[in-house]
Amino acid sequence: MSEWPAQPKVLGTRVPRVDGPAKVTGQARYTSDVQLEGLLIGMILRSKWPAARILRINLDKARKMPGIKAAVAVQDGPRIVRYYGEELAAVAGVSRQACEDALRAIEIEAEPLPFVVREEDARKPDAPRVWEQAPNAPPPRVQETGNVDAAFAECAAVIEGFYTTAVQLHHPMETHGCTVLWNDEGITAWASTQGISSVRDGLAGALRVDQSKVRVITEHMGGGFGSKFGPGVEGILAARLAREAGAPVKLMLSRFEEALAVGNRPSSFQRIKLGAKADGTLHAFEYENYGTAGVGAGQATEGGGGGADLPMPYIYRVPNRRIKQTTVAINAGSARAFRAPGHPVASFGMESAMDDLAVKLGMDPLELRIKNDPSEIRQREYRIGAERFGWKEKYRKPGSSPGPVKVGVGVASATWGGGGSRRTQGEVQINPDGSVEVRLGVQDIGTGTRTVAAVVAAEVLGLKPEQITVKFGDTRFPPGPGSGGSVTSPSVAPTVFDACTRALEQLQKQTGVPDARGENWRAACKKLGVTPLVVQGQWREGLSSSGVGGVQFAEVAVDTETGLVTVKKIVVVQDCGLVVDPLTAESQVNGGVIMGIGFALYEERVMDWQTGVVLNPNYETYKLPGLADVPEIDIVLLNMPERGVIGLGEPVHIPTAAAIANAVANALGVRVPSLPITPRKVLAALGKIPAPKSSAA
Amino acid sequence: MKPFEYATALTVESARQLAGANGHYLAGGNDLLGRLKDDITEASRLVNIKAIPGLNRIEPGPQTWRIGALVTIAQIEDHPEIRRVFPGLHQAAAEVGSQQIRNVATLGGNLAQHSRCWYYRHRDIQCLKKRGRICYALEGDNRYHALFTGNVCISPVVSNLAIALTALDATAVVWRDGQERRMTMAELYELAWDNPTAHHSLRPGDLLLRVEIPTVRPRSAYLQISDKHSFDWALVSCAAAARIENGRIHNARIALGCVSPVPHQVTAANQFLEGKNLDEATADQVADLLLAGAQPQEHNAYKIPMARALIRRTLLQLRG
Repeated sequence: MSEWPAQPKVLGTRVPRVDGPAKVTGQARYTSDVQLEGLLIGMILRSKWPAARILRINLDKARKMPGIKAAVAVQDGPRIVRYYGEELAAVAGVSRQACEDALRAIEIEAEPLPFVVREEDARKPDAPRVWEQAPNAPPPRVQETGNVDAAFAECAAVIEGFYTTAVQLHHPMETHGCTVLWNDEGITAWASTQGISSVRDGLAGALRVDQSKVRVITEHMGGGFGSKFGPGVEGILAARLAREAGAPVKLMLSRFEEALAVGNRPSSFQRIKLGAKADGTLHAFEYENYGTAGVGAGQATEGGGGGADLPMPYIYRVPNRRIKQTTVAINAGSARAFRAPGHPVASFGMESAMDDLAVKLGMDPLELRIKNDPSEIRQREYRIGAERFGWKEKYRKPGSSPGPVKVGVGVASATWGGGGSRRTQGEVQINPDGSVEVRLGVQDIGTGTRTVAAVVAAEVLGLKPEQITVKFGDTRFPPGPGSGGSVTSPSVAPTVFDACTRALEQLQKQTGVPDARGENWRAACKKLGVTPLVVQGQWREGLSSSGVGGVQFAEVAVDTETGLVTVKKIVVVQDCGLVVDPLTAESQVNGGVIMGIGFALYEERVMDWQTGVVLNPNYETYKLPGLADVPEIDIVLLNMPERGVIGLGEPVHIPTAAAIANAVANALGVRVPSLPITPRKVLAALGKIPAPKSSAA
Repeated sequence: MKPFEYATALTVESARQLAGANGHYLAGGNDLLGRLKDDITEASRLVNIKAIPGLNRIEPGPQTWRIGALVTIAQIEDHPEIRRVFPGLHQAAAEVGSQQIRNVATLGGNLAQHSRCWYYRHRDIQCLKKRGRICYALEGDNRYHALFTGNVCISPVVSNLAIALTALDATAVVWRDGQERRMTMAELYELAWDNPTAHHSLRPGDLLLRVEIPTVRPRSAYLQISDKHSFDWALVSCAAAARIENGRIHNARIALGCVSPVPHQVTAANQFLEGKNLDEATADQVADLLLAGAQPQEHNAYKIPMARALIRRTLLQLRG
């Protein structure tokens, strides 16, 4: 089915990033690097109240501060703010210091309102309401199939568990924000975004400007993980400030602000009852879950669901199942899509339950998966991974490792779509000197998509990737999708293939050179005379597909005296169709696994119930994995050229935390049912200290 | 951050004069600049002390080493003789922050740093330590907080070097009222035991000049446990130092960090060790003595078993 060449020359070879040199030498221009004449700094005043009725905002004093060129309120008239850090107003000035001074001069008249920031508190009937017209926790949505109650009676083994995950913050290295120039031609915004088109449309809509008058540029960006699709309040404020000041404004959020108002992954509180027949066949599943998406409980956001509902029973089929899910609103920033929305959380709950069930059945947990996983691809991946990892040699009965530092192993799996967007367009320009420029209105969010485009173009044109100039990240180029859902490579690769194939045909036709590729290239291009050849292309069938598996194995060592968990090794077996460039693919896997280690062991937004603030709005106490926390990551990519290109950014992140949690349970012989698995929770699970009274902390 | 003046001092006494009533000494700046930016500390003037000669020296001696307050953590970590003579100090230095932080952070700044309590460090929380009305950590999330305190604030001392230097029985030499004043490590922190707004016993204008470390304890060790494997604060730390003769321990001192507003030592524990064989049973008894009277809060009881493990491991490391 695949139209990709059967014997590729460039595809599948290890091509270093085409923009690597620019990035490591500081030449690559990120949003915060943009310098414009008369550029002002923008800063935001945020609510210091977790909930309040804002009666009046007076900007007069702030406007008169030295160096201040503009001041705007987010909204005129009274309003209610619902979390600490919600945007109230913004100023633009000649320096950060001027802006900080001006923010202090803004007068706010407000009536504080009662608030609630912990899930279990918000669920109480007498809890303050986050949204006055609706209860914090709506009644659960119930899905029921088969006869659950009867089915449990037919099971040989039944386990019950309560598995919880914390709110995780995106914390991309580059914070949210943009630099906006607003002049007679319209708006030009350099945005740190995963979706230049959605930022353009968002700005045009919010500021009542024709979409044709808004240009969005993202040359390079430092990660978004699902939190950077629209312009955001900060982007709209930057544009309003630029208009009022009559000067360009750069408004980049601080690390502190990143923790408050630009998205997060909802928490989960999953009660699972799972039963199987004596041979391990899953038979009955009962599930109750709630989680918080902050003030945005349950609302999907652009680029994917930011809601708290989970795809359960995840990758397994259970004939009899009852699933109840709800959300709970709290006075905290709203969730947004976050790398494989729902999946890592679902994977943690379900895969934990699977291992607990395997213990009860006296089965090897890998065998239980092989017994129940309907995916042919994952069946292959279990076999390959088990061999590579040495599962048979390493797996021992839970808790049987000798000594105070116990080792354990675990396995978990993923599923994802990762197909391309049919609406992707692109163009290629072939110049008479033989140079080639490929242009698409997509963005490289740091994953190496530019390199993917260069590899495909080089393959089709018989050139080397470094001979191709790839231009992304400008709404003046033919439009492409936002980078969410792992769609970018399967959108870009077929489109570039199409444009380059057409361009090659056109070049050969126009110049009379029968095969212009490779060594004939320069001669053929010279025959173009003075006019470059520009050819449009679009996404087409047969070059990509959707639907991947993915299996990961983890080996950990747990110090039972101190509770410290050390991940020793992760083996990743992942399919993604045709592997365009193993280097960028492996880089994606490394990033996904490292982020999974963070989710498993370190990351947690901590809210203070007394003051309503985020207690850890920094990298000091919101803990991210560092190099010393990263183990050997052994990657096996299943190359399936016949399936075409499939995205892999999200699936490789999904099962890491669940595999680590299972390895910890295997090491200890007891489960730590709550992420992140900190030393404190390990010692509690071992019965060395009383469990904390509050489930949220 | 509020505007402030900046001055560079060339002598200890001029630094003191320049600092006045509300000036702050600036060396590595890791702690101070963060506090200024987050509006936790206000300063009318920063006095750069990096140009004062003599404060950046490591001076070995047969009985006593002197380490100047401006010596960086990286210099302590990398000094081959310190590694041999005071291995516990080397280990404590190696666990501070990241390489970049250690390159600029100084001994003096590490000892005089403020609490890392996340209520104290939050720009919009006015806690007891910032002269507010209550300690929010008492009823809030106190997973990183103290097991012991002599007042209402439960934020612990987090300086790694303070714990190692306590075990080594170092003396801090401070410029106060125009003369050098010598303090034990216990004295350097004792004010924080009683006074919720104190981080140490230094008064405004006091300038830490150096520490002096006796060489009478050739064996020393420092261990900490953090959530992460590097670049993270200790959850609990432990340091011990002693002389060992014929398998028996003498003149021992042991201290815990991150469990009290001061380096946590118990005289009875040090005395108990005298003349003992270092084995697990001895270590467990020392742990009992050190942890007697611990008052865990809702979220920090894990520090007790963690401290027990660290006490045992640190003491056993002294055997070499």
